[in-house]
Amino acid sequence: MEFYTNALAQVLTVGPLVAMIGATLLGVFIGALPGLNPVMAIALLLPLTYSMDPLVALGMVAGIYNGSMYGGAIPAILLRIPGTPASIATTFDGFPMADRGEASKALKIACWSSAVGGIASAIALMTVGPLLARVTLHFGPAEYFWIAIFGMASVGVMVGSDPVKGIMAAVLGLLIGTMGIDTLSGQARFTFEQTWLLGGLDLIVVLVGLYALPPVLQLAEKCDLKGLSAAQLKLTNMPFTRAELRSFLPTWLRSSGIGIAVGILPGAGGNIAAFLSYNAAKNASDDPESFGKGNPQGVAAAECGNNADNAASMIPALSLGIPGNVVAALVLSALTIHGLQPGPQLFHQNPVLVGGFMMEMLLTSVLIFALGGTLATRVFAQFQRLPGVLLVPSILILMCVGVYVINGRPVDLWVMLGAGLIGYLFEKVNVPLAPIILGMILGPMAEQSVRRALLISRGDATELFTRPISAVLIVMTLLVIVWPVVKALRRRRLRAR
Amino acid sequence: MTFKAACIGLTAAAALAAPVLAEYPERTIEMTIPAGAGGGTDTSARKLAILLEEKLGTSIAILNVGGGGGSVGASQFMQAKPDGYALFATWNSPLTTVPQVQNVAYSLDSFTPIASTSETAYTLCVKADFPATTGEEFLAELAANPGKYTYGNDGIGGTMQLAAERIFQTRQIEAVAIPFGGAGETLQNFLGGHVDIYGGSISTVLPYVESGEAKCPLVTSAADVPALPGASGLEALGMADKETLLWRAILGPKGLDPQIVSLLADTIEEAVNDPGYVEFLKTKGEVPNVVKGEALGARLQAEFDALAAVSKALGL
Repeated sequence: MEFYTNALAQVLTVGPLVAMIGATLLGVFIGALPGLNPVMAIALLLPLTYSMDPLVALGMVAGIYNGSMYGGAIPAILLRIPGTPASIATTFDGFPMADRGEASKALKIACWSSAVGGIASAIALMTVGPLLARVTLHFGPAEYFWIAIFGMASVGVMVGSDPVKGIMAAVLGLLIGTMGIDTLSGQARFTFEQTWLLGGLDLIVVLVGLYALPPVLQLAEKCDLKGLSAAQLKLTNMPFTRAELRSFLPTWLRSSGIGIAVGILPGAGGNIAAFLSYNAAKNASDDPESFGKGNPQGVAAAECGNNADNAASMIPALSLGIPGNVVAALVLSALTIHGLQPGPQLFHQNPVLVGGFMMEMLLTSVLIFALGGTLATRVFAQFQRLPGVLLVPSILILMCVGVYVINGRPVDLWVMLGAGLIGYLFEKVNVPLAPIILGMILGPMAEQSVRRALLISRGDATELFTRPISAVLIVMTLLVIVWPVVKALRRRRLRAR
Repeated sequence: MTFKAACIGLTAAAALAAPVLAEYPERTIEMTIPAGAGGGTDTSARKLAILLEEKLGTSIAILNVGGGGGSVGASQFMQAKPDGYALFATWNSPLTTVPQVQNVAYSLDSFTPIASTSETAYTLCVKADFPATTGEEFLAELAANPGKYTYGNDGIGGTMQLAAERIFQTRQIEAVAIPFGGAGETLQNFLGGHVDIYGGSISTVLPYVESGEAKCPLVTSAADVPALPGASGLEALGMADKETLLWRAILGPKGLDPQIVSLLADTIEEAVNDPGYVEFLKTKGEVPNVVKGEALGARLQAEFDALAAVSKALGL
């Protein structure tokens, strides 16, 4: 306890406080702009922080990270454009809500859910984190393979009304995921002698094209010269009723748990957390059909899940010295530059700094309550009032800038355009886009893990099934597949009666 | 990677006049790093860039281009204009190792060597209960049990794997290589018991050696490493010529003005020997090592040739 009170005293000084508030605002902004992402922003800011007090620097990292995970929800809800890969699941119900005039309600749910997820995750980081970190070491390549399969099984629920089209989209994602240098053999696959393809297609580039271009083209199709009037854009700031809050509670609890569990595993990530949370909320619901049509629980689940991943992803980094994602790697890199050695000794080496950073992850999540709601509704929602002739080119410019700065090469803009046109065509023929992204994320994870597992077992495939954690994951995967079918059958029987 | 970088890319393309040394550097320099943000090469280069900015009196924009074990960044960089405003901060693997296993568009001739900055050995470590402690015992245990032990490394055909295989080939050892995405991932699988031997950078595993959970019988440098007193250097094992190091360097595109090269090389030498940078390198288990200009080119060629022989024997 003394550990945290000491750290809190250090954090509650002018420097870190200003850094956290400024960075959270900046983070929301970065998350809200498609193409710009927290990794880029933190990498850009880090060199500036080398000469700063480390707690100020880490406060900025915490603010940007937490702020951007929420910020991604804003365009997801208002325009159906996910600001970050982790907010894809937010578009499913967020945009339908906005479409029927509940934009401000959806934004508010996203804000509260993000804050709750972030707070739960920070508390996990501060309490059970270091203990759980050792447990994650039991997850070897075989277990990671089953996690990827578990994630893919959830696609089944996302494919919508036409499973064949959904599976087609997922397979396309898997194929894209195989492009580039194969890490296990060093062979180049599907690179067509193009050096820029050696690293495969960049997830963010494909995401921006696939997800941002179709809504933009649809806006253009409408030929809307006026935009929404102030009256049409109902921005009432209604407080949640007690009944509403109570209805979100189970979703928040479930999504926080999923987000933390995914975050703590090095290499899994917020994108998967949001999908799994959404899927779990849908499975738990009495009315799964209403998901995808503007169910507030869908927004709550996705946003809570992706923020709950954040602080938890720092657990392996801070307690073991193993960075689970790029942001965690950047945090470790910042600590190294400030002369600290990441690893199990970090807590003893500099308890104030580590405790302070944890505190900052918590405080910046709380800040989302205060800053997120006002900012989103007062500033960003106003964009909806812009007429299409202004909105369409502005978004296109932002997309191009965001995509270009990722690798600094023009060819990425063509990839974005190509992905966008494909996305536009797919939407016209009702092929869902989410499975493509999920395939791109989970495909490489599944392939590399299973091949590593087989290398370790010298080609003995039974090893994949006999390990206890694998067995649990297999059972969970089967449940995810079977459960919706059982529920649907039961409902049909009830209706028949 | 940055707005700054994007703007600089545009200005660089627009600038037509060749720089005159008296005026160099008069605008922002773009530094390409062939790895993602947050890794070892990235951290070292960013820290060095701050010192260089001070000494050169200009700003340096960092562009991370990861992928393909560094070959994507190297391929992209080789097309840069040799005007002194495009630099490449890399580790040795993309230049000397990756071309052995990948069909890359570049060769050593595609770059102008400027100066190396720092170096460190790789290490092989085992859990505390492993039935061998010294380097000699460790190699004997591996040689006595062909195919029994697995070792994690930084990727197939990566420098770490070749460093280990050079030693293994000399002693007729057969161990199963398991490629991971980087030292952090290897450490995770080593600590979890999924692979028997950790193969990778020293700084990543060091905390676990200090806590007694792991012990490192071997380093891949000829000399011993002070941070790992229990580990044998290769000279002590009678194979000093099998040394393979992880080292970092700054290069320019092919055809860079020799005057600019020597100005940059001298500035880099000063920056690397700055007490603050030496201290920073120490926390990462690295030491300063500056080899400049043509001598650096010779070092790259020698390493390239030695690793070509190893990878040929491995059938990669």
